[in-house]
Amino acid sequence: MSETVEPHELSQEDFLAEVHSFQFWLEAVDGYLGGTSFGCDPDLPEQTFAGEELEFLITTLCNYCIGERAALEASSGMIRFAPDPEAAIFLATQVVDEGRHLEVFVHRLKMLGVSDPWTEIDQRANHSLLKFKDRLLEFVDQRDWEASLLVQNVILEAMEFSAFQAHAASADPITAAVLTGVVKDERRHMGFGENDLGRKLLHAPHTRSRLNQIARELNTLALSTFSEIAESLGLQGETDVSANYLATMDRLGFPHG
Amino acid sequence: MSDFLSAFSIQSWLESCPQGYLDSTEYGHRPGEKESEAMLDNEDFLEQEIRTTVQLVLGERAALAASSGLINLAPDDPSRMFLATQTLDEARHVEIFTQRLYDLGVKKSDLDGTLANYGNPNLVKFAEVLLEKIDKGDFVAGVVGQNIVLEGMAFSVFEMMHATNEIANPKFAHTLSGTIADERRHVGFGENRIGSLLQAQPEKKPEIQKMQQEMTAHMLAVFSDSFAESEEVIQEVQTSADPDAGPAMYQGVDLNTADSEEMEAVLSNTVIGEFKTRLARIGLEYLPPAA
Repeated sequence: MSETVEPHELSQEDFLAEVHSFQFWLEAVDGYLGGTSFGCDPDLPEQTFAGEELEFLITTLCNYCIGERAALEASSGMIRFAPDPEAAIFLATQVVDEGRHLEVFVHRLKMLGVSDPWTEIDQRANHSLLKFKDRLLEFVDQRDWEASLLVQNVILEAMEFSAFQAHAASADPITAAVLTGVVKDERRHMGFGENDLGRKLLHAPHTRSRLNQIARELNTLALSTFSEIAESLGLQGETDVSANYLATMDRLGFPHG
Repeated sequence: MSDFLSAFSIQSWLESCPQGYLDSTEYGHRPGEKESEAMLDNEDFLEQEIRTTVQLVLGERAALAASSGLINLAPDDPSRMFLATQTLDEARHVEIFTQRLYDLGVKKSDLDGTLANYGNPNLVKFAEVLLEKIDKGDFVAGVVGQNIVLEGMAFSVFEMMHATNEIANPKFAHTLSGTIADERRHVGFGENRIGSLLQAQPEKKPEIQKMQQEMTAHMLAVFSDSFAESEEVIQEVQTSADPDAGPAMYQGVDLNTADSEEMEAVLSNTVIGEFKTRLARIGLEYLPPAA
């Protein structure tokens, strides 16, 4: 944000234009990506992994790539039917964020000795996550803004945010640094989704029942994905990894039981 | 292919663009810079600048729609990631040129009306030809249309405008500098990535050349309309310019003394020359618009 702008003095419309702008994104990412290379300080030490531990980490990172690839494809597809130019510009910042996430995870896989990460990603894909991706891209193909936003910027982003945050707390230093930067982006994306959807639901409460149904359907896939991630990371069960996700769904009043 | 694509990674983009030439800028220019007072005080000059900037916003909106649409058509993830950076570049261009309209006095509530009022219908047709290819899922045609034809045109237009504004309006010239650097990267990707894809699918060439021909026809119509509309204002600007300002050279032509016909000719010839060179690099022959 430029120094002359006082956010609290802006109208809601101007405030949204400001926080959805490239300029805002530029200043936001400069704070945490400056001086990094592929999402982390290039001088961070590499940890030595035991055989099984390394396998689990590779599988987990491959599935993060599946999620990020879904987010890249969905957010870029949504630009064409964004309701206003500011939303289109925000989504363009999200597109590059998602592309960056995919790139840093692929780079991390290479650092861990995976010679052909793209093939590895496809081979280790979690089936629930693939089904989730297909469903998301169906909504995007149908140019269904509310459903795409719910599935992409609320459910998928909250899912990634929860999983990455939980993983970062116990990860090796390089993976933790990469995940911490990604989590900061996801927070921005979730904010956009919650804000836009929250306002839409306020003005069109009848859309809630349709979105509730979608949330119910995709929640099963989300929780199943969490369960597999928690297992592969050796975390203490599904609840720890999915706590933030469940809180987000509660905040927006969507079912998750 | 992977070696060339590594030069187009998001990490390279972050280092060269947000952390490079955009560092410490505000909407693409240096903080605190203002539009030229002489232009803002003259109704005709101001209207001309608004008209010109409207075409830039419309062109960049088309580029944003096209580059984001190409991501899901890309045959590999590294290409998708490059196109992600291009999508954000185009969004930034939409934002900075829209901001310029506001700086020129257009009210936010009048933005849509201003775009509709001043938008050139031939530019809209130009964009439609491109977006039709993307809607049909044709990645190769989409990249040629977007990264060679559209970006090649934008690159030359921005360079010409930069030459005109370097002395007269440094704020706008600085805004243009960043977009020129972006467009150079986009054109480079198009040339590098498409050559190999076209070699593998030579049957696509006639259809792509037809698209290039149609887009070129619409582009030349935009140039013709724009220079015809601005003929008097160009003369007025030249008459009132500082005689000690020195020449504004573009492709050997002094834009401070050239008439609108000469300007149109130098721009059209430059863009077409660029098309010929770039299309030849990917194995395509330039086709002039049908008579």
